Amino acid sequence: MKRRMRIGIAVVCAVPILSPLLFLSGNDYLIQAATRIFIYGILVLSVEMCWGQTGIFTFGQAAFFGFGGYFAGYMAKNENITDLGVLLLIALVAGVIAGTLIALFLFSGKRVGELYVALVTLAISYVCEKLANSWTFVGSGNGIPGIPFPTIFGKEISSSIALFFIAFGLFAVSMIICILIIDSQFGLAINAVRDDEERAEFFGYNRSLIQIIIFIFSAVLASIAGALFSLSEGFISPSSLGLTLSTSTVLWVVLGGKGTFYGPMIALAILESVDVEMQRALPSLWRILVGLMLLLTMIFLPKGLMSLGEKSRNKREQKKTT
Amino acid sequence: MKLLQVVGISKNFGSLAALKDVSIHVESNEIVGLIGPNGSGKSTLLHTICGRTIATSGSVLLSGKELVTSNPMVRAKSGMAIKFQLARIYVEKTVSENIMLSLQSKDGIWSLIRSASSKKFIPKIEELISEFQLSDYANTKAKFLSHGQQQWLEIAMAMASNPSILLLDEPTAGMSPKERADTAKLIKRASEKCGVLIVEHDLDFIKDLCDRITVLHYGSVISSGTPKEIENDPKVKEVYLTRV
Repeated sequence: MKRRMRIGIAVVCAVPILSPLLFLSGNDYLIQAATRIFIYGILVLSVEMCWGQTGIFTFGQAAFFGFGGYFAGYMAKNENITDLGVLLLIALVAGVIAGTLIALFLFSGKRVGELYVALVTLAISYVCEKLANSWTFVGSGNGIPGIPFPTIFGKEISSSIALFFIAFGLFAVSMIICILIIDSQFGLAINAVRDDEERAEFFGYNRSLIQIIIFIFSAVLASIAGALFSLSEGFISPSSLGLTLSTSTVLWVVLGGKGTFYGPMIALAILESVDVEMQRALPSLWRILVGLMLLLTMIFLPKGLMSLGEKSRNKREQKKTT
Repeated sequence: MKLLQVVGISKNFGSLAALKDVSIHVESNEIVGLIGPNGSGKSTLLHTICGRTIATSGSVLLSGKELVTSNPMVRAKSGMAIKFQLARIYVEKTVSENIMLSLQSKDGIWSLIRSASSKKFIPKIEELISEFQLSDYANTKAKFLSHGQQQWLEIAMAMASNPSILLLDEPTAGMSPKERADTAKLIKRASEKCGVLIVEHDLDFIKDLCDRITVLHYGSVISSGTPKEIENDPKVKEVYLTRV
């Protein structure tokens, strides 16, 4: 078993053991914040798979998050479909359709640059936010409030602890699936496309197909995260589709270290944990501090915070080789 | 039937004719050298054969199959493998992973996701890393290898795909004399399994190694024959050998 999987299993085992400490605090707000971290964790996983592992710079991943959130929210509120399994399936289908359309547009032809992909996905996210803001069918600027809690076998899941475990469960399954993919022979192929896509083609890899598959997979992950978000929060608004969330995901990935797998999730957990408190303590300074952190990371640690560990590992390996 | 047949290839970049009606061929188990002064069109020809550049006119046939407009993926699947001038290996991956990348390249996506062939390829990986003197570095990241070892790794990766034609772009660039001699042996051994086309600057290296040599000058073939014939060709002496 590889190191990445061992850490993954340790995380999956540690959370249920440690979470009672959180529940004992009796603070519902903290439980909801932890739930949100797991939901955003799925979104970050989707960016890491796309950008960190395959080199597809998706700057508009929030668009898929929003698709999932709006589809599930609309169905739950207006069509009275509250079964969690069905709603997640709807989000999955929405992710597959949206992901396929955009992936075919981006990758079915000749190789395109990283910046081109970033700009197209960013533009899609921007357009989706604007559209949701003005389209009364999906509630315009108010979004969809009052989304009912999901049900499992007809039983309503309304307690924050149950929602916490559902979010954690889906995060854990998503993470293990991602690790299995990265540690497989297919993982080697997607990394080859990331590191030198032209070289991969000269070995006989179907670069286009690999990029399309990963893009759709990450769109599905983001869409499921969005559905879970709207169901646990009880609302979905245009900001969940737009630039702010898209930029935040890129920020988490850059700070943690793209391609390091756990780095972006650690950055998300740290920043989200302190975000509200810091905004309260330093209302005008906090965002500037985050921007400064990003700037310093990009200058001094271009591979993110996790590269600190990698550097010392590399030094050890180099010493061994020489 | 000839293994690789390049017939009447021309390549224009705007008004510049980089290749003019070039024809060469490689038989199975044959080593053919391609030489010429800088700017003669050697690398352009190699890129036209491997699919990095599409020819303006002409034909590239591999075992009778027309590939002149095919993309690199199709050419690789048809049995073409290339080693670039500057080693293009995956430096963040280990030596074994680099070779695995080449070995598994013809597997389907589903097979890759299931890691269906990972165990099957282990003996082949061990065989290749031993053949290319990389046994001590099987689990070392490729970025920690020396320049020569990186070049060998790329040739090993090319050979891993079991090609019918191996294209080598200056395989000994930047190598020590000892590494060059070892590389010659490796290429000789590779030619027992496939045809080899080498682009090289080092004439001493290429004349001892190749069965035939083709000389390019300003995008045209000016001479073709055995190394001895090339050495004695007055045209070659005039435009190439005197300039080296």
